[in-house]
Amino acid sequence: MFATSRTTKLLLHVANLTVIFFILLPVAAVFIGSIQSEKALQADTRRLLPLEFTLDNFTVILTKGEQKGRIFEQVTYLPDNIKSFYTAFANSAIVAVSVTVLTLLFGSLSAYTIARQRFRWTLFLLQANIVARFVPVIVLMIPLYIVMRSFGQLNSLSGVIIAETGFLLPYAILILAPYFDTIPADLEEAARIDGCTRFGAFIKIVLPLATPALAACGVIIFIISWHELLIPLILNARPDFMTLPVVIASLVGDVHVFFNLMMAICLLALAPTVILVALLQKYIVEGLAAGAVKG
Amino acid sequence: MPWFRREMRASHFAFFMNVPTLLCLGLVLAYPVVYAAYLSVHRVGLAQLRRGEFPFNGWENYGRVLEDPLFWVALKNTLVFTAITVSSEIVLAVLIALLINQTSVWTSRLTRFLILLPYAIPPIANGLIWAFLYSFQFGFLNRILFTAGLISDPVNWAGNPNTALYAVAVPYIWRTLPFAIILVHAALQGIPRELYEQASIDGANAWHRFRHITLPMLRQIIAIILILRTAFAFAVFEEILAITQGGPGDATWVAAWYSYKITFAPPNNFGMGSASAYILALMIGAIALVYMRFIYRRVTL
Repeated sequence: MFATSRTTKLLLHVANLTVIFFILLPVAAVFIGSIQSEKALQADTRRLLPLEFTLDNFTVILTKGEQKGRIFEQVTYLPDNIKSFYTAFANSAIVAVSVTVLTLLFGSLSAYTIARQRFRWTLFLLQANIVARFVPVIVLMIPLYIVMRSFGQLNSLSGVIIAETGFLLPYAILILAPYFDTIPADLEEAARIDGCTRFGAFIKIVLPLATPALAACGVIIFIISWHELLIPLILNARPDFMTLPVVIASLVGDVHVFFNLMMAICLLALAPTVILVALLQKYIVEGLAAGAVKG
Repeated sequence: MPWFRREMRASHFAFFMNVPTLLCLGLVLAYPVVYAAYLSVHRVGLAQLRRGEFPFNGWENYGRVLEDPLFWVALKNTLVFTAITVSSEIVLAVLIALLINQTSVWTSRLTRFLILLPYAIPPIANGLIWAFLYSFQFGFLNRILFTAGLISDPVNWAGNPNTALYAVAVPYIWRTLPFAIILVHAALQGIPRELYEQASIDGANAWHRFRHITLPMLRQIIAIILILRTAFAFAVFEEILAITQGGPGDATWVAAWYSYKITFAPPNNFGMGSASAYILALMIGAIALVYMRFIYRRVTL
């Protein structure tokens, strides 16, 4: 597209390296922070790379505080939330998987009808979803807290799953609807002439064709759910039901928790979604573009 | 024939397909939105929650929010934060999308591979990582600048009231930029190459081609990013919680943080919290309507 002289090429390399530096800066920080001790961090406040490496931060988290290693030998206080890492990880996984499955299920039913059945109210439903996507969690939090409180759904995973499913459903519909719209209707009509019901044609013909869109939508919803803080933070105060973001948030402002330990738990919490993004990049890119533009 | 084999009327079919969605949206979105409006005109504190009775108090909650100087500080900070993040994101997204579009440059291919990484980081973890980066005593950022010889004394990035809002804006931009870049990059693929070839024959230089072909063709996607990112930046929360908790002083109190603190920190004024959240929601709602009108002018799905 552009004439690539040597100077332009050099400038492009410099620009790319700047961007890469900016992208990797926090990743390097969380990595380097998590593999050293607070002592090493304090010993020299100007040194870039640590004097010594240690995996003690991970050991103490992954053994629920039982194996303290050298760093934490003399430490008497460890926040309980650090010790419940496995529970939090499992909670996060249960919530994210359930929310993804429910959202895909309900979302594909809706998105298909919105794309195929043109009634005034399905159009209205699409418009409602577009507006609903903008509703900030903070507005829903207060009434959701009171509603869930009166239903006895505080401190349970089901409350969080219901809330997140409802909250993410509009976005899923916006990602899926344009894709269903691109699938030719002839296929279903042929199937229906052969005696398939509308629902049968949807399940047997349309859904298999929509696998790429379902994958794109599913991975995006999983990531958002894995990252969601406010909903579980407000609905679940008991350690048994905390998700990873809530555990991380509970360490904020705890002056007794070292930065190194925080970086270690952050690294463990961000690993699953980083792996997902690395593996499924193509789908995420398509899903993000579909959900924003064609809605 | 059993009932599930019989053919349904199209309108019935459409309705049944949407029952789960309608239930979910009703329970989690519509009802709470209406209920929040109800709460915002009632006195709701911990005592009232325990008793289960919310006395009506008219516009009192709204009045108290609008009289609270902290609310106006939070609103001003939110506007400044939104202006900084959205404008920088649009400029950066266009530049970086053009950069990763240079597929013949190997570093561009590397950038393109890495571009989605921030999207994978949980917002609260992102906040905490940047809190570590900014740390006055042990911070990674100061270490880098010391090593590069750019500063001689440590800088208190997030602890200085003059720089704190920028200090939380940078992590937010870092985390949300991939979304904007991907949209711009996708739009770039839709520009016909012939336009550039024709312009080159006519003697247009790179800047002219950008100014008269690329930029006009990106206008729509830039408008979409502008609207979406403005609405979401209005409700920024996690980075504030992790890095500054609204401080120092009130330098980074933003609207969502205000509603959160009023409601969930003692004295737990749920009514006033709802009122302030509603003011925020109405502003975002206005943005959402603009977005819908905009989308509909172009696409009829």
